[in-house]
Amino acid sequence: MGIIIDYSPLPGLEKTGVLAPMIPVTFINGGYAFSTIALVDSGAEAGIISTVIADKLNIEWRKIPAKSGFSIGSNFRFRPVNINAQIYDHNFSLKINVIEGIFAFKCILGRNDLFKRARICFEGYKRQFEIVFREYN
Amino acid sequence: MKPLKINFVKLLKGYESGWVGISPDFKQVLVWGKTLDEATKKAEKFNEKIYYFPSGESYSNFVGISDYGNNNRL
Repeated sequence: MGIIIDYSPLPGLEKTGVLAPMIPVTFINGGYAFSTIALVDSGAEAGIISTVIADKLNIEWRKIPAKSGFSIGSNFRFRPVNINAQIYDHNFSLKINVIEGIFAFKCILGRNDLFKRARICFEGYKRQFEIVFREYN
Repeated sequence: MKPLKINFVKLLKGYESGWVGISPDFKQVLVWGKTLDEATKKAEKFNEKIYYFPSGESYSNFVGISDYGNNNRL
């Protein structure tokens, strides 16, 4: 049985009809936890969090050597870290990238993390998506 | 099982900057802070899980959606 989530309306897009697939997630780093709502992005190879979220998780991201990355139209600096995530009752570890100065979404989950843990079916005509986490023996 | 609904237009109405802390049923904003630190500090009195989300972001120019108009409604 999957979890069904309606696409979310976002400020500034009310007149466009554009909605976004968003999912609640709790990140855990040792004794630190932080809950937020992430964009589910099938176009993102890897997940990202902002530096302020990394700070809340007590990730010492400044001590991690920065790497350069690029996306459509921009370059960015990122620092990969290994943390844990909880979505509903599903716990998993993931490598996520801490990125400086990101906007508008402060947290994105992508193909190398969420999409490897679950089957995700986008149903734009219903304005919702379904997520079915893989069962492990 | 009813679909989960998170309506950021309703939730973030009146909040034009900072961060909000959203209730676990995603129906209301419990705390607001100019910074994430301020918001998490205000949330310490709550025992429930709080979901933090930036309240000052504009999504209208996000790549791929900025030029959508009413003709593209589903």
